[in-house]
Amino acid sequence: MYGWIWRHLPGNSWVRALISLVLALAVVYVLFQYVFPWAEPLLPFNDVTVDGQ
Amino acid sequence: MARARSRIAGAVSVFGELLITAGVLMGLFVAYSLWWTNVLADREAGRQGDKVRDAWTAKTPSGPGALDTDGGLGFLHVPAMDDGEVLVRKGTDPETLNGGVAGYYTDPVASAQPKDAKGNFTLAAHRDGHGAKFHNIHKLRTGDAIVFETRDTWYVYKVYKTLPETSKYNVDVLQPVPRESGRTKPGRYITLTTCTPVYTSDYRYIVWGELERTEKVDGDRTPPAELRAS
Repeated sequence: MYGWIWRHLPGNSWVRALISLVLALAVVYVLFQYVFPWAEPLLPFNDVTVDGQ
Repeated sequence: MARARSRIAGAVSVFGELLITAGVLMGLFVAYSLWWTNVLADREAGRQGDKVRDAWTAKTPSGPGALDTDGGLGFLHVPAMDDGEVLVRKGTDPETLNGGVAGYYTDPVASAQPKDAKGNFTLAAHRDGHGAKFHNIHKLRTGDAIVFETRDTWYVYKVYKTLPETSKYNVDVLQPVPRESGRTKPGRYITLTTCTPVYTSDYRYIVWGELERTEKVDGDRTPPAELRAS
């Protein structure tokens, strides 16, 4: 899977490494900005109030 | 034969990569929950807190007991928790609490205000992530001070009872007279609630305090003795 991505990136090893790094950072950004804030309330880790429901 | 084997090897390696990816994802989620949400929440709480303090100094008193619940109504200081000051705002919905503040309950049992003659001032805040303002709630012992600061008054509460574990459906802890804490008469109480054990929210941790005295805020905002000691 990752090997497939690596083979399809353009340029020599250095360029590919750089692109990989940028891609990884982009994925982390999307996760922190959109995916985790969406997922967090669905997971039972951080409910702090008492309520009747 | 060789082709079949290489196909199996390919499938195994993709499966392995998926497992590694899942592990990294979970690790990132932990980093997000326990670190990044704190960064965001502390930044937001700092901004809101500054706004409240600015409003306190800028505004001339606008009528008796004018209450600005929009930006927040005051700061909670708990020396035993060692978390600095905690801005208190209205409401306990996630959007409010995720801003790194403590919220006072409007539902299911509406909180009293500290200035009320009788009632229970009930607060909730995060144990982990989002500022983790009540992270050290387990360090509170009977007799420890909980100080609430408003524009004009320091309210000094003393802890008299802690409940390390209760059901999340136990809304009776929020009653104006919290009988579960052993009190039967109306008084001026404060109740802190958060989740427990740490990193999960299977149960709720409750701390009750009772108002000991109030102090007028002076020109220098000299804190009461309880806060000067630390």
